[in-house]
This record gives sequence, C-alpha cells and structure tokens, in this order.
Amino acid sequence: MSNIDIKNLSFSYQPNVPTLENMTAQFEVGKFSLLVGSSGSGKSTLLKILTGLLPTFGGEITRGRITIPNQLTVGLVFQNPNHQFTLDTPRHELEFVLENLRTNPSEIPNKIISALSFCEVQHLIDRQFNTLSGGEKQKVALAIVIAMDRDIILLDEPFASIDPKSRTELINKLVCLRDDKHKTIIIADHDLLGYQSIVNNIYTIKNHDIQTLLHDEGRKLLTEFEQQSPTINCTKPASNSSISFMFNQLNISIQNHKLLNQVSLPIPKNKVTLITGENGIGKSTLFLSMTKLMKYHGQITLANVDIQSIKAKKYARQVALIFQDSENQFLTVTMREELELSKQHRKTNYFNDEVIKECLTKLNLLALLDQVVYTLSEGQKKKLQLLLMMIVEPEIMLLDEPLKGLDINSIHQIIQIINGYRGQHQQTIIIISHQISGLNNFVDHQLHFERQHLTYLETHHES
Amino acid sequence: MNPSFKLILIILISFEISFTRSLITNCLLIIICLLYLIINKIPTKTLGIILLVPIVPAVALSITIAFFTPAHDYHFALVLFTRMFAYVLLGTSFTLINSPLELARSLEQNLNLPSKFAYGSLAAFGVLPKMRLTILTLQKAALMRGIRLSFWSPKLYFKALLIALNWSDELAQAMISHGYVEDTARTYAHKISIKHTDWLYLLVPLFIIQPLLLMLP
Amino acid sequence: MNLSNHYHVRDIIFVTLIGIAFGAIFISTNFIYNFLTVILTPMGLAPMANDINMGIWVMAGPLTGFILRKPGAGFLGEFLAAVGEMFFGGQWGASTLISGTIQGLAAELGFTLTGYKLYNWFSLTLSCLTTTIITFGWDMFKNGYTEFSFNLLILLFIVRFISIFFFGGILTKMIAALLDRSHVLTKFGGTNV
Repeated sequence: MSNIDIKNLSFSYQPNVPTLENMTAQFEVGKFSLLVGSSGSGKSTLLKILTGLLPTFGGEITRGRITIPNQLTVGLVFQNPNHQFTLDTPRHELEFVLENLRTNPSEIPNKIISALSFCEVQHLIDRQFNTLSGGEKQKVALAIVIAMDRDIILLDEPFASIDPKSRTELINKLVCLRDDKHKTIIIADHDLLGYQSIVNNIYTIKNHDIQTLLHDEGRKLLTEFEQQSPTINCTKPASNSSISFMFNQLNISIQNHKLLNQVSLPIPKNKVTLITGENGIGKSTLFLSMTKLMKYHGQITLANVDIQSIKAKKYARQVALIFQDSENQFLTVTMREELELSKQHRKTNYFNDEVIKECLTKLNLLALLDQVVYTLSEGQKKKLQLLLMMIVEPEIMLLDEPLKGLDINSIHQIIQIINGYRGQHQQTIIIISHQISGLNNFVDHQLHFERQHLTYLETHHES
Repeated sequence: MNPSFKLILIILISFEISFTRSLITNCLLIIICLLYLIINKIPTKTLGIILLVPIVPAVALSITIAFFTPAHDYHFALVLFTRMFAYVLLGTSFTLINSPLELARSLEQNLNLPSKFAYGSLAAFGVLPKMRLTILTLQKAALMRGIRLSFWSPKLYFKALLIALNWSDELAQAMISHGYVEDTARTYAHKISIKHTDWLYLLVPLFIIQPLLLMLP
Repeated sequence: MNLSNHYHVRDIIFVTLIGIAFGAIFISTNFIYNFLTVILTPMGLAPMANDINMGIWVMAGPLTGFILRKPGAGFLGEFLAAVGEMFFGGQWGASTLISGTIQGLAAELGFTLTGYKLYNWFSLTLSCLTTTIITFGWDMFKNGYTEFSFNLLILLFIVRFISIFFFGGILTKMIAALLDRSHVLTKFGGTNV
C-alpha cells in the first residue's frame, strides 16, 4: 500500500515566520507512528494539516504538499479533552457525529454501543462530559473516531493531562486498532514511556523540520527516556527551618474524586521545593487551592495565618501562581507595555531598567519589545511571563510546569535571573515540573505526590 | 408537545401579558404553570428557588408603582408583581422540562433553522459552566501582577474576548473533525414530527387566553 | 435566511461565547443591582436600578456589532446570550428571551441605519441610542414605566443612555482598540469573508 506522503512542506501562521519548513517524510499506512518533539515544535500543526483543519483555520501552506492515498479518511483526537465535544453527553455527541456522516438512523444505536464498548466506556454513555475525568473524555474521544470508522487516527498529545493508567489502556486500544482493524495510528507525545514494544516508526520534529529515525536510533531514544533518573539531589527540610505554607487536614477533591488527603505538611520558607507526580494526580489543582481558586477542606496557613482570612489583593501580591498557560497573565498588547505595567507594581528597586534590559538580553527577547505578545512563540511567551512575574516580586512563586517548551539555555538563564534576585531578597519557590533536567542545584527539596499524599524525598549523593 | 411549538406558545403568552393588565389571567397562568411543573415532578425545592428569583425586583417595582406614581394604581402594581412570576414560571415550564438539545433538534427539523446555529450555540453552551471560573482566574492572574480587573475595566473584556476567540476556534475545529459540514444534509437519530395535536396544543390555549386577557381585570 | 450566509459555525460559537463570557462578568455585578434596588425603593426610584445597570446587560450587542462588522452580529451577540441564559443562567425564563431579542434588534438597528459601512463613534453612538430608545419603549410596557411622571421618565431615560453609552460606547471603543492593536481578529476575519 502507498504511504502518507509529505513533500517539501512549509507552513506558517504569520508571513515569514515558518512553523514547518521544507519538511519531507512518509508515514506508513497500517502502522503505529510516534511523533516526538518538545511543545511548540510544530507537532500539532502537522497533525492539523493532515486532518485538513489547517490552513482552513489560519496560516498558509507556502510550499510543498501532503498526499493521503486511496481516499483514506482521517480522524483526530485533540490535546485538550475539554473542548472537543459539541454536545453534553457521549450518547448525544455520538448521535451528532453519526448524523453528520449521514448514517442511517436505524444503525445509529448499534454503532454507538459498539464504539463505546470497544473503548470500555459504555457505562459513561449518559454521563455529562463536565463530570468525566480527562482520561474518560479521551476514551470517549477515541470511541468517536472509531464510530466514524476513520482509517487514519491522529492523536495530538492526547495524554497531556490524564493519569498513567488511562494512558496505558488507551495505548493498548490503539495497538488493537492497528493489529485487528488495520488502522494507521500517528501519535504525538513528549512522554515516551510504554512505546518500546509497540511502535513501528519514530519521527522527531525539531527546528521546523521532521526526521525519520532509523530503527536503532528510535530504540535508543526510547531506551534513554526510560532510563532517565526520576529524582534529583535533594534533602528533607530540616525540622527547625522556618515555614511558609502549612497544610492541616487538607482534603482536595474534584467531582467526588479525591485528589489529596494530607494530615499535615510544612513547606519551608526561602527554599525551592519541587513537586513531582504522575499526570492527573492533582498537582495543578493543589496550586489552585493554594491560590484560593479551588475549594478545599481543611486548612492552609501561610506564616501561621489561615490563607482564607487574608484579603484577596494582599494575598495575590504575596503568593503568585505562574500559570501553565502564559497568556493568562498577559494584560496588554505589546511586550513593552507588559513590562511597563509590571514595573509600576514593583516592591523594591531590584528590577531597575538596567537589570530588566540585561534579563531581556539573556532571554533573547530584547529585539521583540514592540511585538504583540500573543504572536510570540510559546517559549518566548513563557520567558516573558516569568520575567513579568519576577518583576512584581512575589514573596512566594508557584511555578506550574515553567520549563515546558524551553530550551536548556533558556532554562539556565531563567534560573540565573531567579538566583540573582534570591541572592538579595527572600523568596520561596514551589515548582511543578515533569522535566527535571536543568533543575539540579536549584531545587532544595522534592515533594512526591502519590496516592493522595505528598512526601518529601531524599537522595543520597551520586554525582 | 413539539418543543418548537411549546416555545412559541410560551413566548407569545409572555409577550401578550407584557402589554395587558389582567391580574386574574396572570394568576391563572401562575397556577397552571405550577400545576404543570408539579405534575412533571419538579422538586419542591427547585420550585422554591425559582419563586425566590423575582422577589426583589417584583416587590421594588410594585411598591414604586403603588406609592410613588401620580396615579397610585394598586391594581397595576399587583399586575406587575404577578407578571414577573408568570414570566419566570412560563420560562421554567420550558427549560426545566425540555433540554436545549431537544429544542435545537426540533428547530432544525421542524422550522428549518440552519444546523450551524443550532449546534454552534450548543457547543458554546457546553463550556458555559467553565466560563465563570475562567473569568475569576483571569482576575486572579491580574491581581498577582498588582492589577485589579473590575467590570468596568476594558482589559477584563479584552481578555474575555481572547478566551472566547480561542475557545471558539477549538470548538469549531472539534465540530469539523467530528464530521460536521455546514449547510449540508444530515440524518436524524431522532425524528421529531409535528402532530395534529401539536397544533391543538398551540392554538387552543391562544384562543382561550385572548378573551381572558381582554375581559378579566 | 439571508443572515445565514454571513456566518460560519465558528462565528456563531464566538458570538455566543462573547455573550456567555460577559454574562459571567455580569454575575459579579448582581449585588450592585440588588443593593441599588433596596436603596432606591424607599425613594420611589426603584426602576432606576434597572436603568443604571442597563449598560452592563446590553453591551454585548453594540460590542459584537462593532467588532465583527457584519449584518446581524449585534443582534446575535445579544440574542444567543439570552438563549444561553434562559437555559443555564438566570431563571428569568421567557422574558429573558424576549428582552434579549428586543435588545439585540435595538443594538443592530444602529448599524443597520449606517448601512453596515460606518464603524466609528457615530455608528457606535447611534447603536447606543437605538438601544436606549427601544429598550426604554419596551420597559414602558413591561415594567410599567407608563405610570411614571414625565420628569421621572426623562431622568430614567438619561440615566439609561449614560449607562449604555458608557458600557456599549466608551468601553466598547476601548476594547475594540485593544483587539485592533493585537491583531487577533484579523486571523479570525481572514476566513470569514
């Protein structure tokens, strides 16, 4: 059978800023292909071009073409499980989908049941999507692609926010689809665990280009990923250290699903604490509770004061959450305006114009001062967001996946900027991060989130 | 009763009581709606909450009309008071019993509403519960930079519009990847028909209410 | 439906979401309405709470009309939000839908009168004015404004216009300026036309 053929493909969202450049690759029909690349590398863009959503929804193919053989049909499972359904329940959504395909009404009920059963989610048929977990939503999303009987199934980082068990179950279903139904699977992921024995081909996207890895190169990439040590050098906090946050009988749940049940936990002041744990375990939700954006039971205190009794504005100036989605924190239009705005709310004169300019230079942002912030690349947005939040000098910074999409040099520069500030001022930092390379020597303590519990880890020196 | 017909009936009656001043008809409508809701097993607690909604404006408006207008029209004050409850109960007789999807399907099949309006708005309603939290998050994120975004701040609306823009992009892409194509024929998993009785249910109440509105005080 | 040709499904979702997002902002102003009502009632000015808040409730109309710049946008922005509110938000029921329709048509009229060619202070002010006049006319019946003295009516009308002009005019213009400078709508408009 012929292949999905990408030839000299160039694509840009804005004129002269290519997202994909002169890309050539072939995806084998009936095989399981894995697409690897950091966030913002263009994986989504490629998958959306294959689906036909781009350039319909923006951007332009400036060169080259994509050929999909024999009128094979393409289906896509999106990264964000929340915005991929039109209606309120799996049954209604599947009815909608099958109506769109002009399925004979008498066949609709059976198709719905068989697609949901294949993904083992038939019990969710009449549940509201709002009450489903991320993993359940992604299973329904896959069931929809199956009900549509698509030949080529694309998945765009489908496991980004779901628990490892659901992830394994979904990957097994995809293998079944390939082996029993001869579907073509192309999946974009940055977590490479669990693919070793099943994947046929591996591609990497980097610097706007795609590379097809030879068999051995691919194996090596997966093996290296699996052997990555999941811990970094850290100690348990000393018992006499001063405390910033303290959790007492803290219970956090989402829709009757318990995430955290912590009797007592101190977080030391003026230290850097890293929180690790599997996807979907509740790390980001914990941050939302700590910033009073999410309800919880029990007590969180800051310097022995219940955070609920601190006024919203005062508390926000003490404790800043650096949101995963950088755009959340932008308020104006250009980078210059954003910086001006942050400068108005400094607490000390540490970040004077000179220091800011130095930071911008380090972060490679200086030339972009007049650019509209929403047109920056994801990495640039993240660097700007971190700088803006540094400038307003919160006493405590909660960083939610701050390294996503950043290259190692940027990470070093950011750590240098933070360390520079912390050399002269007190600041407590709590980080959620999957990626820990680059964080060694920065992090003091590591909290591991597991089975509704947070525990301090301790490593014995190796390197 | 066919959902489109039912909605039309309810809107026509609500419209008519806005221009007429029959206290007794308003009360009759309130009683009929309450009975209808009770027969359809709407919990008393839900009904209680619904009846609380118009209290403040209804009391305030009636007091103003009764005591602070040149005519001191007590009858009209009561008409306005009951009218608010009639509006609310007429509305809930639809929204507590018929789902938006039922209405959308009926409008699409019976009144030829283009499907993009039916499903486009439904897709947007789906994220409605998340919107409130998202707005709060935006406000909190700004507060962490020292900036308060109030309801009169253009920046708050600007951010809200960007959210609407991003979400509409995602939702529309999701619809299209789920096989939706604008302005093309679709099949219907559930056929919604207009029966003869639907015409009766629509026209009989309308005929009955006209003389009541005009003749009863 | 003539209107239909101007709208793709994404436009419809966008317009609906604008209404929903603004609705989520307005929820936080409900206490202002209740507070004003309680204060103004003993003074015999209860309806004024309505007029003071009117701008917040109707601003989605002038705003969508002004930023989308196509026929029907002003109406849809207000109307689809009302449909959503009827089902999910407030319990104002059928009158939400009627008010939404009337407010939508009122906001639309301002842009219709300028032939959908003019998008500046004039057309925006016109839209605010038509919205004030028509919603006021509706309240003459719905909220019994016919009973009030002429002087009070003048006062209420002026208050309502100021409120609508502030939110639907001044704020809308400022929001549109931000959108314009950030170029986010060009991407949106690109596939619409």
